[in-house]
Amino acid sequence: MNKTIRLLILFLILFWATPLMAHDVTSKDHALLANGDLWAYLWVGAKHMLTGYDHLLFLLGVIFYLRKTSDVIKFITVFTIGHSITLLSATYLGIQINEYLIDAIIGFSVFYKGFENLGYFEKHLKFRSPNLLLMVWVFGLIHGLGLSSRLQSFENGSDRIIHKIITFNIGVEFGQIAALIPIVYIISLIRKNKHYPAFYKAVNTYLLIAGIALICFQLILYLKA
Amino acid sequence: MKRISTFLLSLVCLAILSSHDMYLKLDQYFLNPFTKTTIQLFNGTFDRSENVIDRDRMEDVSIIYGGERIQPSASKWFEKDSITFLELETKEAATYVIGVSTKARSIEMDAQAFNDYLKHDGITDMLDKRKKDGTLDTPAKELYAKHVKTIVQVGDSLSRDWSTSLNYPIEFIPFKNPYEVHVGHELEIQLLYGQKPLANQLVYVGTQVNELSHTHDGSTHSHASNETQEQAYLTSYRTNENGVITLDIKQEGTWYLRTIHLEELSEGEFTHQSNWATLTFAIGKGHEHENAATTHKHDIKIPTYVYLLISVIIILLLFFAFKKKG
Repeated sequence: MNKTIRLLILFLILFWATPLMAHDVTSKDHALLANGDLWAYLWVGAKHMLTGYDHLLFLLGVIFYLRKTSDVIKFITVFTIGHSITLLSATYLGIQINEYLIDAIIGFSVFYKGFENLGYFEKHLKFRSPNLLLMVWVFGLIHGLGLSSRLQSFENGSDRIIHKIITFNIGVEFGQIAALIPIVYIISLIRKNKHYPAFYKAVNTYLLIAGIALICFQLILYLKA
Repeated sequence: MKRISTFLLSLVCLAILSSHDMYLKLDQYFLNPFTKTTIQLFNGTFDRSENVIDRDRMEDVSIIYGGERIQPSASKWFEKDSITFLELETKEAATYVIGVSTKARSIEMDAQAFNDYLKHDGITDMLDKRKKDGTLDTPAKELYAKHVKTIVQVGDSLSRDWSTSLNYPIEFIPFKNPYEVHVGHELEIQLLYGQKPLANQLVYVGTQVNELSHTHDGSTHSHASNETQEQAYLTSYRTNENGVITLDIKQEGTWYLRTIHLEELSEGEFTHQSNWATLTFAIGKGHEHENAATTHKHDIKIPTYVYLLISVIIILLLFFAFKKKG
């Protein structure tokens, strides 16, 4: 097995292993939050970021475009600020937007990143892509609404609610860091490989497909509901 | 139809006044298996406990789960402020029932105090009877006992324990596991007195919603984060011929039922005997109906292994295709 294939498999395993282990745990999270202290919110927040593959796919798209560590930090910080604003404010104010529509928009953000990374704005639409940092911030706001709707789906009680929201948010950031470390590491390894261009196109084309699939899936659920 | 046979007596709100209801309450009704929690025994109103209950006043304390009924030791109780607490260590996942029944006590009241008590506690049938009989100026010596229970969900596994009777003198028993019920559903609850359906009995039902914001007349506002909002009213129901009331579940949160069965005694030193019953449980978010049950929302998830497999295949195919293409 050549080096490229080994790296590719390592990437796929690392990227998907956590969701595989921890998916479909909503009811257990429900009980955990119902009984647990703030640590439970930290844990559930981190887990939902790690198991939320739509969030991770978007982050993957963001990371793929970036080469310098300082850019990675800058873009992730902007994304973090964006989703924290809506996660904190929407949860505190009890604002709930239809979760299927929000998830469909998050699916669109995945599609958007693949589209942008492949240079399709210039190639097919004949104009430059919108400001990258601004779009990451805007999509960060959308992702925060999705995280908020998930948090509001739990029985959070009334005691120390602000602490719970903030702790959940901190947990989300820990989950994000935990997800980003292997992603950034593996991408940096693959980037040195001679087949990186093919890998870049493959993953970003996959983001287009996954984004469309997520949009369709969520819209079907919305229409069915 | 059950819904027709069970009629709502009134939508008139009843202000919560000072009373001596007893409730078993929890901060959270969804518990983890094999974890410790505390159950609160309130004596006063649903919101405020005015005094603790001594262990020697308890006739029975029972926990039912997994088809078994156990009696926790007296050492599991403790008091703090005016609330009595029961330490509970959950076992396997199931729907648990916890009940407390007190020994009968007596109280003497002059006519005015008795009339006030009937009015404040919503025992209007007896008050009307006294008016009708012209006995409003008659004092009373009442024998009373309280029988309370709560239904909680431990873990994900729903069990049949919710339907088990504690054989208390008066007791609410739902026809369905409350943890299978969600907003937009109906929940029928039977009231048994002496293990027989108690017809034409007034039952008051309240809900408590813990939320960050709520809506009044179409406008939404929020409260301080640690504020618990209780709807300041109870809705009155009257049991049908089968002793059943039908609750229209319109919101999530804690639901509580209370009733006081008061009867006159013709012999002995007491003029009246009352048995009080309450039931608490929670309605969760498992799924929800919107717009009067016209829509139905469930979580639908793609199995992760399917998603993983498809993703891996797509990425590998794309990779080899782009590699070949150069």
